[in-house]
Amino acid sequence: MPIETRRSDDGKTLTICVEGRFDFSTHQSFRDAYEHSEPTVSHYVIDLSDTTYLDSSALGMLLLLRDHAGGDGARISIENCNSDVRRILSISNFEQLFSIR
Amino acid sequence: MKVLLAEDSASDRLILARLVSRLGHTVIEAEDGTEAVDLFRETQPDLVLLDALMPRMDGMEAARQIKALAGERLVPLIFLTSLSGAGDLARCLEAGGDDFLVKPYNRVILEAKINAFNRMRGLHQALSDQRDHIRRQNQQMLDEQRTARRVFDNIAHTGCLDAPNIRHHASPLSVFNGDVLFAAQRPGGGTLVFLGDFTGHGLPAAIGAMPVAEIFYGMAAKGFGAPDVLREINRKLRRILPVGMFCCGLMVEADFKHNSLRVWNGGLPDGWLLRAAGDRVAIPSRHLPLGVQEPDQFSASMTVLDAAPGDWLVMMTDGLPEAPNSGGESLGEEGVLSVLAGLEAGQEPFEALLERMQQHTGKPELADDLTLCCLQMVRAEAPEAMPDKIPESALTGPADWRCVYELREQTLADFNPMPLLLHICMEVPGLRSRSGEVYTLLSELYNNALEHGVLALSSEWKTSPGGFSRYYQERTRRLGSTDGHFIRFSLEHQPREGGGTLTVVCEDSGDGFDFAEYSDTVMQQQSASTGRYAGRGLEILRRMTRNLKVHGRGNRVEIVYDWWFPDAAIISGA
Amino acid sequence: MNDKPHLDVEALAELQDVMEDEFDVLIQTYLADSRSRIDGLREALATADPEHFAKTAHSFKGSCINIGAPRLGGLCFEAEQLGKDATLEQAPAVLEQIEAEFSEVARRLLNFGQEA
Repeated sequence: MPIETRRSDDGKTLTICVEGRFDFSTHQSFRDAYEHSEPTVSHYVIDLSDTTYLDSSALGMLLLLRDHAGGDGARISIENCNSDVRRILSISNFEQLFSIR
Repeated sequence: MKVLLAEDSASDRLILARLVSRLGHTVIEAEDGTEAVDLFRETQPDLVLLDALMPRMDGMEAARQIKALAGERLVPLIFLTSLSGAGDLARCLEAGGDDFLVKPYNRVILEAKINAFNRMRGLHQALSDQRDHIRRQNQQMLDEQRTARRVFDNIAHTGCLDAPNIRHHASPLSVFNGDVLFAAQRPGGGTLVFLGDFTGHGLPAAIGAMPVAEIFYGMAAKGFGAPDVLREINRKLRRILPVGMFCCGLMVEADFKHNSLRVWNGGLPDGWLLRAAGDRVAIPSRHLPLGVQEPDQFSASMTVLDAAPGDWLVMMTDGLPEAPNSGGESLGEEGVLSVLAGLEAGQEPFEALLERMQQHTGKPELADDLTLCCLQMVRAEAPEAMPDKIPESALTGPADWRCVYELREQTLADFNPMPLLLHICMEVPGLRSRSGEVYTLLSELYNNALEHGVLALSSEWKTSPGGFSRYYQERTRRLGSTDGHFIRFSLEHQPREGGGTLTVVCEDSGDGFDFAEYSDTVMQQQSASTGRYAGRGLEILRRMTRNLKVHGRGNRVEIVYDWWFPDAAIISGA
Repeated sequence: MNDKPHLDVEALAELQDVMEDEFDVLIQTYLADSRSRIDGLREALATADPEHFAKTAHSFKGSCINIGAPRLGGLCFEAEQLGKDATLEQAPAVLEQIEAEFSEVARRLLNFGQEA
């Protein structure tokens, strides 16, 4: 499965792992991953350790998640990016909207 | 179903014909291969039963011809045979047969085969119908896109992309790959360029592009500067695009009078300023793309760069660095930089980049999603009356009026009244084709009042090489404290025989200067002065107006500007 | 030697069922067809044309199989092989057997038809 989710023990953090290409084909499964999550989730972690590629539709999906999670009040961190993925996020200046580690 | 039966043995033919018609199908009978082919052409059956060995044309040849006639239609062909060797049966299939029926004819087997093939035929037909349907819909979409493209062209037009100092490449259907490229001359001189890359492609991308085009060209014509246009574009896109869609963009405001560029990059690959002296300045993306942030968080802050005639500004969408070669590798930003770093003196970056692209991809034609624009800094030209454009509005306008507009305190720092004042003047139909001159007059008066009057900046800095960015920094700093100041514009317009007269008075709260002393300096055409006007500014005003008066302490300037109807100008010899 | 039956009665009964009131026409057609095929075989021998001999025998074999005359069909197969091998020396003998067998088959078929 290209998308896997994990919930923390206290139910407050939802981790979404994206494997392989993060592009338009992952659209539906990415949405499903967070749309049906419990209302107790207050922090999202997007784990990109196995993500090989990210394009503008993935950026769009991240924006959709941010909107779902409350917009400016959302707490979303994007972690374990490889250098290509990092570069794309930085050209778009997404560190202004997400915490990128 | 219509079944064609070709069998040379009369008794066998009788048996089979009866078997097939008892299954409810219509039977067409042929005695040999030639007749079979002719009847096939005439009657277009749905299934063919063909004896392998027949006189005149034998079964194999008949099968080949029939399959050729059937073309894209799936017409199952079943060989009738008492041949039993595997080799013979294989030859039947090679000749185009789909199956064979062995003698003695068994009605159960015959029924099973006919039904199976009928189902297959049905499936094939359904697939073909779907494919045709998809083809038609696709064609329709392409036609719709073509129409949308024409609408877009009427809104966007090429602006001034064809100016001699601009080189550009964009795909003809670029609006549908999400890329847009707009360029406009500003009324007071200078050029505004916007390069955009919408997420997605096709009609959704094009739909975002249209309002942006209207905003860009509409505001540019009214004299708005880059930050205002950016804020408006962001606001519009934030409102109309669904969450997740946005537009990466690069905006450039080129000021040829002051040899300076203001740039803003949100999400596009690095732009480059290539100075004629040989140094290069990268223009990296510092902002989020347009349409992502709420207006109150959006930053239109621009980077100011000194740029002299001969310098090139290079900007591109990611289609260029990401174009793959035959091995799937992209040129990359390093590849682009290596082309720019390797330019010879006098070589133009535009040609060099396109050539490198062709080398890299190995194809003479350039990819569909490649947009590249290069702008060269040139000397400022004196503003001329622009050729009579079709006026944007068909409304008639006021000819005899007066208005006063005063800006005070913090508003002086926050608000640029130029577009508004220009708009008021443009209500006069006769002034519409003179927006360049009028804007220049108003902005010379305003800049003098604001920068030299209220902010007390020295124009020395402005004109020294490399000084404009310093000047601009200081200007921004001093705009932080405008308390107690004002600028007041009084505009008056009166009709005259053959045309009209616009009178503009501009007063400000700054210190004055000794006009008498200053006027000598001006006459000697010195550009540096400690006084208010850079000599050039005053000359421009003098040249364009009937009368120029400086009152009071020098902080009240009055100009009188005449205009004539085109025919009247000839008559009055003006 | 060929010990197949002269007529496959089951197959014929089925044909009768299929053809219904056209069964007689079928029998007549078969008999007429067969006569002209036998003529054809004779002609092929006379002109020493092994290919024509083989093709005619093959066709004849087919209609015999369909009608349900296995022994006659077997003889036609032999004739076909001779034609394919182009060894027509033994062909006249086989042709005679074919003619004899055909008479028998024809007689039985006509009786069968009448019984129906």
